[in-house]
Amino acid sequence: MTRTYTWTKYAMGAGALVYALALAGCDSTNNNDSPPNQVVRYGAISAKVRGLDPMDIGDTTSSGVASNFYECLFQYHYLKRPYVLEPALAADMPTYSEDRLTVTIPIRKDVYFHDDPCFPGGQGRQLVAEDFIYAWKRIAYLKNVSKNWWIFEKRIVGLDEFRETTKGIAKSDMDYRQKIAGLEAIDRFTVQIKLKKNVPDIEFRLTHLPLAPVPREAVEHYGDEFMNHPVGTGPFMLDSWTRGSKLVMVRNPKFREEKYPNEGEDGDEQAGLLVDAGKTLPLIDRAEYRVILEDQPYWLTFMNGETDAAGIPKDAFDSAINSDRELTPSMLTKGINLIKHPEPTTFWVGFNMQDPVAGTNLPLRQAMSLAFDRKKFIDLFTNGRGLPARGPLPPTVAAYTPDLSSPYTTFNLALATKKLAEARALHRKNHGGDLPVLKLIIGGTDATAVQMGQFNQRCFEAIGLQVKIDNLDWPSMQDKVKTKSAQMYSMGWIMDWPDPENMLLLWYGPNESPGPNNFNYRNEKFDELYDKITVMPASPQRTAMFRQMEQIVVDDLPCIFTTHRVSYYLKYNWYKNYKPHVYGYGLMKYLNIDKNERWRKVGH
Amino acid sequence: MWIYVVRRLLYTIPIVLGVLLITFLLFKLIPGDISAELAGKAASPETIAEIRAELDWDKPLLLNFQAARQRGPMAVFESQFFIHFKKSLTFNFGRSIRSKENIATMLRTRAGPSLSLTLPMFVIAMVSSLTVALLVAMLRGTMWDYSIVLICVLGMSVPYLAFILFGQYYFAYKLQWFPIIGYEPGLGVWRYVALPVLIGALAGLGADVRFYRTVMLDEMNADYVRTAYAKGVAMPRVLFVHVLKNAMIPVLTRVVLAIPFLFLGSLLLERFFGIPGLGDMTIQAINSRDFPIVSAMTFIISILFALGNLTTDVCYAIVDPRISLS
Repeated sequence: MTRTYTWTKYAMGAGALVYALALAGCDSTNNNDSPPNQVVRYGAISAKVRGLDPMDIGDTTSSGVASNFYECLFQYHYLKRPYVLEPALAADMPTYSEDRLTVTIPIRKDVYFHDDPCFPGGQGRQLVAEDFIYAWKRIAYLKNVSKNWWIFEKRIVGLDEFRETTKGIAKSDMDYRQKIAGLEAIDRFTVQIKLKKNVPDIEFRLTHLPLAPVPREAVEHYGDEFMNHPVGTGPFMLDSWTRGSKLVMVRNPKFREEKYPNEGEDGDEQAGLLVDAGKTLPLIDRAEYRVILEDQPYWLTFMNGETDAAGIPKDAFDSAINSDRELTPSMLTKGINLIKHPEPTTFWVGFNMQDPVAGTNLPLRQAMSLAFDRKKFIDLFTNGRGLPARGPLPPTVAAYTPDLSSPYTTFNLALATKKLAEARALHRKNHGGDLPVLKLIIGGTDATAVQMGQFNQRCFEAIGLQVKIDNLDWPSMQDKVKTKSAQMYSMGWIMDWPDPENMLLLWYGPNESPGPNNFNYRNEKFDELYDKITVMPASPQRTAMFRQMEQIVVDDLPCIFTTHRVSYYLKYNWYKNYKPHVYGYGLMKYLNIDKNERWRKVGH
Repeated sequence: MWIYVVRRLLYTIPIVLGVLLITFLLFKLIPGDISAELAGKAASPETIAEIRAELDWDKPLLLNFQAARQRGPMAVFESQFFIHFKKSLTFNFGRSIRSKENIATMLRTRAGPSLSLTLPMFVIAMVSSLTVALLVAMLRGTMWDYSIVLICVLGMSVPYLAFILFGQYYFAYKLQWFPIIGYEPGLGVWRYVALPVLIGALAGLGADVRFYRTVMLDEMNADYVRTAYAKGVAMPRVLFVHVLKNAMIPVLTRVVLAIPFLFLGSLLLERFFGIPGLGDMTIQAINSRDFPIVSAMTFIISILFALGNLTTDVCYAIVDPRISLS
């Protein structure tokens, strides 16, 4: 009896202690007495960082973080538009042989890897040309199953053959010293690449984060844990990382000499984007990112001034943006700015062109494209943050054609009904009977994905077409698409760089599933033009070919083009130098924080 | 008793093996192959095939007869299931197929945050609900009893998510009594888990109070309670010593069996308050078909659950001398 009573007493005591400790730990404010000495950027990441090994990075969140630790040969000019490249780790832009098949790139001599225990004495060593070759061989090594092999595939002399030879070689036995004819460090600070064919976008490819150099010492020292220990040349070093919770990076004291740009495009000076011109980068000392997966805490931390900038969650949109698509007065009084910019994305409802019903019936695809109400879709599902898509290329590329000629990529129910009658007649002629119920797969099983399915269904029902919606999780949908067993599916693409080839590859015949051409679309003329643009240097003729290719796609309609996403980004006044850049990563070095203003407003 | 304990421990083996087989089959029967997704957005068939080989997905599901024909009868076990089976039994859970993190490290680093949330929540909820239940049982038939039961029913009707959304918005954002989100290992952890602990404990209070009230009422009407009062024993002692001890069997069943699940963390609280625990990890693994993580968690929870069951039985015998474990 006594024992039970004592136990109960202890349990109650423990509970009280928890309460007491909890409440003692509560803070009603973050206020300090004086502004902090360091310039700190506070941010939120709304998805999990999967890993920080450039070779294996395939998602935008991980790229965004890792690009502060790693750098590539080239980078985008921060302010100039249209987007132009400039040297980063390269000492200069590349030189080309006469046939443009040999690319020679000098490397800067003042670049050092981050200090790390993997180096003798913990001191980061100098970057050399061999570090690039090593990093690229890691991508080619089959057992590494890099997500980024496509960047090099069939383009570099000897690299595909090297990849073949690595088949079956265990990681412990892999010898990266093997010579490759097309990848050579011709001296300590010069990389030479020999191409199998002209690759007009080679500089863009070399700007892509997965191609950043990594030190062999770090890869060998950390082994499989290298993804948790970034050792690059970038402006920031990893200070701490609690997966799924918080990531802190600090200024790299040995960062190479780089200045904030002195020039930009018209209007940059007036926008205050040249105030820091000529200053040494990076401009901030420390960045703290919290992983916030849910919309409410993501939004509340921003509204509380705990993060410097944020996107707008769907449910908070009406409280932040008015009917004129501008900030509400309450946001303005908080000193919040709105920045809108189109993203390099295109979304569609794809048809499997090998499907006997949808793939052989152009009037059916035209009818469905005409029946899809893009404007309503954008209003309903993105709070108006989108542009109707009329073709493959998004407005962020120079070759974008807003007036692409097609009567079938707009909303027109009368014409859609007429086209559907043609489609039914064609189906009867080819297969007999009426059109069967079509099947559309929507990726996702959450409420929004289900509503999107219902929206599609209603659009097609409006012209009398029955479509069954299948809401599948992403892996199941991918499986259906990649095995060509989906009839229709909803998907999209984010461009990696501004060359239209990076989008048009999705309609190239030889890329059919399980390759990236999920439409399994084939058009001889398109393929012929694609073969040409992949080897042609940039020119008005090449741009004209993009237009021809777009026209072929919208004429054949292997998909219903739906939207291009538009980003609405909010930031506080104290957050300086922000300019939207849809392709560039590692841009935090340009950002600045007015720490005094932030301290005055939110006390930290 | 020891023979009983050993016998029960031996029963645990087929149970855990059965759980392993069922988890494996469930995952394999769900349509959809994620190797194409893992290979990246413009992957070649060769890369996809290599991923399948790396993950042993190119092997037969249960038995490998082809390998047995080529390399002898023992090679029949070179199948997906037996490879998975061997790894689990040796606690070699491997790496996440999504993030490539070491699963053993994930379990080790995330168990702490989960327990820092669920353990105090569990203790607070248990102590509060038992106390309230005892008091309500004592005040049976009064306005207090009706009011508290009504509040409990109302509390049970409100979705868990609503408690979280309101608590975070009002106490963390509006009143600024707590941080909105975050986690810090060490002593500073209380600053971050205080609000989710209170919300979690409060949200579960309604159901617990009603359950324990019913249990207590059964005991309150027993002869020994009347005898105790008649002998002049003070009310708190009657309640907290006599009644509570005799009501222990159903309480133990509920409490001890809940303990293994504390390791699972709390999905919603972890997500909303940014606590890097096992709950969020497990749900994300299920959604993203990260089978090694799901398998590791199922394996561990099944062992803990079996041990929890055994502990419950032993506790029954300790608190109630009428129960024999022979």
